[in-house]
Amino acid sequence: MTALLLENVRILDLTQVYAGPTCSRLLADLGAEVIKIEGTSRIDVIRNLILLDNNTQDDYWNRSGYFLSRNAGKKSLTLDLTQEAGRELFLRLVPHTDVVVESFTPRVMRQMGLHYDALRQIKPDLIMISMSGYGQTGPWANYSAFGMGLEPASAISSLTGYRDGPPLRSGISFTDPLTGIMGAGAVLAALHYRRRSGKGQYIDLSEHEAAIPIVGYALMDYAMNSRLPQRIGNRSPWFAPQGCYRCRPNESGDDNWLVITVCNDEEWQAFCQAVGRPQWAEDERFADVLDRIRHQEELDELIGSWTREQEHIEAMHLLQRAGVIAAAVLNPKQVLLDPHLRERGYWDMIEQPGAGRRPVAKQIGARFSAMEPGPRGRHAPKLGEHNHEVLGGLLGLSEEELTQLEEEKVIGDTPDTVVPLAVMRQALQQPLSAFQQMGALHALEDDYKKQLGIEAE
Amino acid sequence: MADLALADLRVIDLTQGIAGPYCTKLLADYGAEVIKIEPLEGGDYTRRLGPFPNDIPQHDRAGLFLHLNTNKKAITLDISKQSGRVILRKLLTQADILVESYSPGYLPGLELGYDDLKAEFPSLVYCSVTPFGQTGPYRIYKGNSLACMALSGLMYVSGDPDKEPLCTGGEPAEYFAGLSAWVSILAAVGQRSQTGKGQYIDVSMLESLGTADEYNTIMYSGYGAIRKRFYSRHLFLYPSDIFPCQDGYIVVISGASGFPTGMALLLENPDLQANPLFSPILWPRTINWRQLDEIITPYLMNHSWQDLLTRAQELRLPFAAVLDPKMLLENEHLRERQFFVDIDHPEAGRLTHTGAPFRMSETPMRVGRAPLLSEHTQEVLLDLEYNKEDIVILRERGVA
Repeated sequence: MTALLLENVRILDLTQVYAGPTCSRLLADLGAEVIKIEGTSRIDVIRNLILLDNNTQDDYWNRSGYFLSRNAGKKSLTLDLTQEAGRELFLRLVPHTDVVVESFTPRVMRQMGLHYDALRQIKPDLIMISMSGYGQTGPWANYSAFGMGLEPASAISSLTGYRDGPPLRSGISFTDPLTGIMGAGAVLAALHYRRRSGKGQYIDLSEHEAAIPIVGYALMDYAMNSRLPQRIGNRSPWFAPQGCYRCRPNESGDDNWLVITVCNDEEWQAFCQAVGRPQWAEDERFADVLDRIRHQEELDELIGSWTREQEHIEAMHLLQRAGVIAAAVLNPKQVLLDPHLRERGYWDMIEQPGAGRRPVAKQIGARFSAMEPGPRGRHAPKLGEHNHEVLGGLLGLSEEELTQLEEEKVIGDTPDTVVPLAVMRQALQQPLSAFQQMGALHALEDDYKKQLGIEAE
Repeated sequence: MADLALADLRVIDLTQGIAGPYCTKLLADYGAEVIKIEPLEGGDYTRRLGPFPNDIPQHDRAGLFLHLNTNKKAITLDISKQSGRVILRKLLTQADILVESYSPGYLPGLELGYDDLKAEFPSLVYCSVTPFGQTGPYRIYKGNSLACMALSGLMYVSGDPDKEPLCTGGEPAEYFAGLSAWVSILAAVGQRSQTGKGQYIDVSMLESLGTADEYNTIMYSGYGAIRKRFYSRHLFLYPSDIFPCQDGYIVVISGASGFPTGMALLLENPDLQANPLFSPILWPRTINWRQLDEIITPYLMNHSWQDLLTRAQELRLPFAAVLDPKMLLENEHLRERQFFVDIDHPEAGRLTHTGAPFRMSETPMRVGRAPLLSEHTQEVLLDLEYNKEDIVILRERGVA
C-alpha cells in the first residue's frame, strides 16, 4: 500500500462531541497527525458517555465507547485555554500546524484571541475551519447548537414523520455526521488549493446551512409551486408499493420489519411471483403505478399479510433475488454481525487500553485500491496521553517545565470535575435496567463479547 | 475574479440520481470542470422526477435535477455503442476523475471498468458509487436511501414504539454517499499529487451512513445493550426533542447545563430548581420523562416558538427552531448570511437555490445554473476535434 496522503499534515483539533470530531477523524484516517486539545476542566463531554462495560472505575474517561468511535487514531494534548499559559502554548504550536479545526460557538475563539486573523499572523498559510451551528455571522451566529436541534432547523424534520403526524427527528443526531464529512472535504479542498497556490484560508461552515441541501427537492417545489411537503411516513411520491412492513417476531417476541420499494410494473410482476401471490399481478387495482398509488392502503394490507409470516432477513434475500429493492430493518447487533459488512472489512478492531477489543465502523464509506484509510490499530487517546510527546518533542519543553505546567493545571491527565470524582463515578453509572423497563432498550445480553468474537484471549 | 479551489480538475461524470450528481455538484461548485454524460433518451432520470413548475413535466425544468447539477456541462452519449466508447476514451485523456453510478459490473461489461482503463490512464481517479459497494454478498442487490436506512440500523431506532420504524426524509443516504464520494475523490487526488498515480474508489451508500451510527452499535459492543425505537429520543439527554408550542413546534434542548437553573428561569418558575426532576443528574429526567413533560408542555403551549427560542438562547440553552422550506426561505438569519442564491435558467426561469454549504475565504463557491439536456454536446465534441459533419453523423446514428 502506498503512503496515506496526509502524512505530512498536522492538525490542531479543538472540537468536541460529534460533528467536529467526525471531520478530524476522517482526516486522521487519511494519515494526518491530529492533536486533539482538551482542558482538564473541560474534557470532551463524550468521554463520559457509553463507558465500556458500563464501568465507571479507575480512569473511566479513557474508556468511552462513544469517544472511541469518533477519536480513534488521534493524539491527546491537554491545554487549559482559559489560562494565559495554555493559550501561549497553543500559539507556539500554530507555526508547526497546517490546519486548525474548531467547533466552538463563534464568540469563544474571538474571546480567547485565537481567531483566524490572529493565527495567520504567525502561520500565513494556515488553513482553519470553524464548524459552528449557524455560521460566524448573522443574528443566530452565537446561538448554541446541538445536532438534535439542527436537524429540525434545517427542515429535514419537516419531511420526516408519520402521515398526518408531527415533524420528527431521527433516532440519532443526523446533521452532525453529515457536516463532519463535509468539513473534512472542505479541508481537503483547501489543502488542494494550498498545494497549487501556497495560500491558506479560513472556512466558515454553518452546520445548519451544510444540512439544507438534503431538502433540495422540497425547496424547489416551494420555489416553483408554493407547495409545502407533506409527511408521508415511509412511502414514496414516485413509487408504489413502498413501505416498512411487519414481519414475524423473533423468539423473544420482538418486532421485526422489512422495507420494500417496487420501482416499476416489471418489478411488481416479479414481486407477486416471488411472494407466491400471482393473483395480485392480475388484480386491476394494482395494474400500474398510478393504480398502486391510489390503492396503496389495500396493497399495504396484502403485503403485510405476506410479510407477517416471513423472517425479515430471509424475506430480504428472497425479494432481492427477484430483483426487488428490499432490506431488513436491522437492529444494531444485527448490523455488527451482518455478513456483507463483515466481508467488506467494514469494522476495524481496536484495542482500547483497559477495556479490550471493540469493532469500530469505518468512517469513510469507501474502499480504495491504493490506500487503506483508518485508525490503523490506534486506540482513542487517553486524556493527555501525548502531552510530553507534543510539548516536549515539538516545542522542546523540558521535564521541569512540563512538571510545572502540570502543577499549574495547564496540562494534566485527570479531569478536574466540578463534583468529586467519586460522585461522578456514581452519576455516570447508566441505569440500564431502568432504560429497559421504560422500553428504550432490549434486555441486556451479557454474552455480547462472545457473540461478537471479542473475548479476551 | 477570485480563484476557485478545484479549478485545475476535470471530471467525467457518468452518474445519475442523487448521490453521484451531489458529489460532482460539490466538485463543480468549487471550481472543477464537470462534463456530465447522459443517455440520449431523456437524460439523467432525475430530469423526470420533478418537481416541475405548475407540475408540467419537462426535462430541462426538473427541480431536483436543477438543484443537483449546477455548474456542470451536459452532453449526451450512448456508451453502449462502440463510437460512444471511443468518444468517452478521448474525453478521459484530458480528465483527472471519472465518477459513475452504474450497477456493479455494467461498465466492466463495456470494457470501461477501472481494470480496462488503468493502463491507458494511470493517473485517473475512478470512483464508483453504488448502494452496497463492489464486493460482498449484497453487491448485486438493489438499494435506495430507504434500504440503507434499514440495513444501517438507523431506522430501527427512529420513530415511535407503537408504530413502524421511520425513515428520515429527503433521501439522506444518497447525500451521505455523495459526500463520501466527494471526500474520497479529493483524498485520492491528494495522494496522486505525491505519487502521480490514480486509483479506484468503491463508495458504498450503506457504509457512507456509517458515520451516522452515533452510539447504536457501540452500545452493543460496549455493554450488550440494544436500543429500541423510542420516539427517536436521545437516550442520554432528555429533553432534546421536538415539542408542540403555541404556534407550531420548538426543539427543547436543555444542553449540558440547563438544569436546574436555565430551564427553571425559562419557564419563569424559579421554584422548579428544587424539583428533583430539575437536578443536574440526567437519569431521573430520562426515566420520568412523562412527569417532566407535564411541567413544561403547558408553558410551551402558551408561548410562540420565536419567543421561546430567543429567550432560551439568551439563557444559553441550545433550543432550535423547527423550520419547513418556506420558513427556511424567509429565515432572517439565512437571509442576512445570503445563503440562498437566485439563479437564472433559460427554461426554468429564475429559481432560488441553496448556496455554499461552507464558505472558503480565498476560493468561494461559484454560482451557476444546471445545463440543458445535451447543451454542450456540440462544444465538447468540437473540442475533441470532431467536425460539424461528424457530429451530424454521430447524432443520426444515435451515438451523441
